[in-house]
Amino acid sequence: MSSTDTGNGIATGPAATPGRRAFPAAPASEVIASARRAWLTYLGGMALAFLPFVVFVNDAHWLNIIALTYLMGGLAASWNIIGGFGGQFSLGHGVFFAIGAYTTAIFVTRWGVSPWATMIPTAIFAACVAMLISWPTFRLRGPFFAIATLAFNEVAFVLANHAESLTGGPRGLSIPFRAGLANMIFRDRWAYALLMFGFVALVIALSVWLRRSRLGYYLLAVREDEDAARAAGINVLAVKLKGMALSAGLTAIGGTLFTMYLRYIDPPTLFTLPEVGVKFALLALIGGIGTIWGPLLGAALIVPFENWLRSAYADSLPGFSLAVLGLLMVLAALFMKRGIMGLVEDLLKRTRRKP
Amino acid sequence: MDIFLTVLVFGLLLGGIYGLVSIGLNLIFGVVRIVNFAQGELVMFGMYGGFFAWHWWGLNPYLSVFLVAPLVGLLGVAIQRLVIQPLQHEPNMQIFATFGLLMLFQNLMLMASRGEAYSVGGQVGSTVLEVGDLKLSLVRVVTLLAATLITIGLHLFLSRTMTGKAIRAVTQDKRAARAMGINVEKTFLITFGIGAALAGMAGVLLTPIYSITPAVGGNFILAAFAVVVLGGLGSVWGAYLGGLIVGIVEAFAGFYIDPVLRSAVWFVIFLIVLVVKPSGLLGQVGAEEVGFREQH
Repeated sequence: MSSTDTGNGIATGPAATPGRRAFPAAPASEVIASARRAWLTYLGGMALAFLPFVVFVNDAHWLNIIALTYLMGGLAASWNIIGGFGGQFSLGHGVFFAIGAYTTAIFVTRWGVSPWATMIPTAIFAACVAMLISWPTFRLRGPFFAIATLAFNEVAFVLANHAESLTGGPRGLSIPFRAGLANMIFRDRWAYALLMFGFVALVIALSVWLRRSRLGYYLLAVREDEDAARAAGINVLAVKLKGMALSAGLTAIGGTLFTMYLRYIDPPTLFTLPEVGVKFALLALIGGIGTIWGPLLGAALIVPFENWLRSAYADSLPGFSLAVLGLLMVLAALFMKRGIMGLVEDLLKRTRRKP
Repeated sequence: MDIFLTVLVFGLLLGGIYGLVSIGLNLIFGVVRIVNFAQGELVMFGMYGGFFAWHWWGLNPYLSVFLVAPLVGLLGVAIQRLVIQPLQHEPNMQIFATFGLLMLFQNLMLMASRGEAYSVGGQVGSTVLEVGDLKLSLVRVVTLLAATLITIGLHLFLSRTMTGKAIRAVTQDKRAARAMGINVEKTFLITFGIGAALAGMAGVLLTPIYSITPAVGGNFILAAFAVVVLGGLGSVWGAYLGGLIVGIVEAFAGFYIDPVLRSAVWFVIFLIVLVVKPSGLLGQVGAEEVGFREQH
C-alpha cells in the first residue's frame, strides 16, 4: 500500500485537498486486516479496557469513574458512527440521549416496566425520530448541518422543560430505589460498571462490524466526497440515514443506562452541550475521529481527568474543569486533528520506515 | 388591537437586540463563512468591558463603547491569527476550535467573577419614553437605532470601500482575489477583527439591558446564527430583517402561545428556512455553498 493511499480504498494524490480532508484516514492496518484479525484485535482491546475494572473492583470511588468512562466511551463511539465514519458532525445527539433517558424513566416510574424491556423499543423509537429529523437536514452540508442539529437540541430542551406532565419539566424525574437485576438498579457499584462495559463492548463490536461492512465503506465514501460517492452510484441519503439511525439508537440505549445509573434526570443534565452533545464529539476528537478505538480512548483519558479537576477545583475555582476542556478542544482541533490514534499511527509509521 | 401593537413594538425592539448581536456574526459567518461559535462570548466580553469601564471610571456605556469595541476587535484579530487561520479550509475543525473557545472564555470569566452577576446602575436603563399610549424603554430604542445605523454603515463599507470589496472578493474566490493582488490573509484578519469589534460593541450597548453573567453569550449565539441564516447569507439587510423577524416572532409566541415556548417557535422557523431555502430570505440562491467550496 503506497503512502498516497488514504487507507480507505480511495486513492488520492498527495497534493489533493488538505482542506477537504478534515477527517483522518483510518489506520491502514484496519483496512487490510482479515476478519479474524479484526475480531482478535477487538477481543484484545476489550480485555485491556476491562483491566481497570478488575484492578479497582473493590474501590467504589474508582468504580464510579470507570462506569462513567465506559458509558461515555460507548456514547462517543455511537456518535462516531455517523460523525466519524459518516462525516456528519451532529451536535444534537443530546436529543437521542434524552429520548432514551426520558422514555425509560417514564415507563419505569409510571407503569413499573423493566428498563431491560424498554431499552430496545426505545432505541428503535430514537432511531425513527433520528431518521425523521435527519431526512430534511441531511441536505445541509458541513457547518450548516452542525448548526441545524444544535437547533434541534435547543428545541428539544425547550420542549422537555415545557412538557411538564410527561417529563416533569424543570423538576425532572427521579426513579425510586428498588434494587434488583430486573429493575436494573444495583446496590453495588461494580454491577453498574459491568453494565456500562457491556454497552461499550456492544457499540465497539458494532463499529468493528460496520467498518468492514458494505454500509461502512459507503459511509466512508460519503464522508470523503459526497458528490463522488453519488456519482459512483451510492444512495447518499439512504446511507446517511442508516448510519444516523444506528448511531441514534445506540445513543438512546446509553440514555437508558444513564437514567438507571443516576436515577434522576432533568433537562439541563440531558441537553447541556459541553456535557452531552458536544462532549460525545469531543471525546471522539481527542481519541481519534473515525477510528474504532479513538472514542473509548478519548473517554478513558478525559473522563477521569475531568473528574479529578472537578473534585480538586470545584470549590476554589468554579468552571476550571470546563475551561481546561475548552482549551484542550482548541488545541486538539489545531494540532491533533486525528487524535491520539493519529499520533500513534504516525509514530508507528516513523519507526517502521527506519531500517 | 392595543395589545397587538404593544406586542409588535416590543418584538421590534427585541429584534433590534437580536439584529445588533448578529451584525458581527453576519460579517464573520455570513460574509466570509467562518464558523464562530465563540461569537456570543465576544458579546459577553463587550458587556464586561462596558461594566468595568462604568464600575472603575464611571464611564457611560455609550462612551466606553469606543474603547471596548476596538479591544474586543483586537482579541478577534488574535483569534483569527492563532486559531482560525490554521483551520481556514476545515469548517468542521472550526466548529470544534470555536466551541472550545466558547467553553474556555465562558469558564475563565466564571472563574474570575465567581458567578456573581453584574449590572450597570444609573438612570439610563430605566428611562421610559412615552409615545401616545406606548411606553418604550429608552435603551431598547437606542439599541434598535444603533442596529439600524451599524447595518447601514456595514452595507456602505462592503459595497463602497476597497476593503469591503476585497472582503467580498475573497469570499467568492480566494484564488482569483489573490491574482487581483488582494492580500487574502490580511483581508480575513481585518474581517474577523471588525466582526469581533461589532460583537464587542453590541455587548457594551446591551449592558443597560441585561444583567451580566459569564453565560450570557449563550442567549445570543444560536439566535445570531439563526438571524444570519434566516436573513440570507452575505446579505447585510437580510440579517437586519432576520433580527426583526426573530424578535417579533419571539414576542408574539411568548404572548399568544406560551412564554416557555417562545424561542422554540423561531427555532422551528429557522430550521424550516434552513431546510427549505438554505440561502435564506434575501440571500442569493446557492449562497450557502459559497466559501465552503474547494478553494486554495
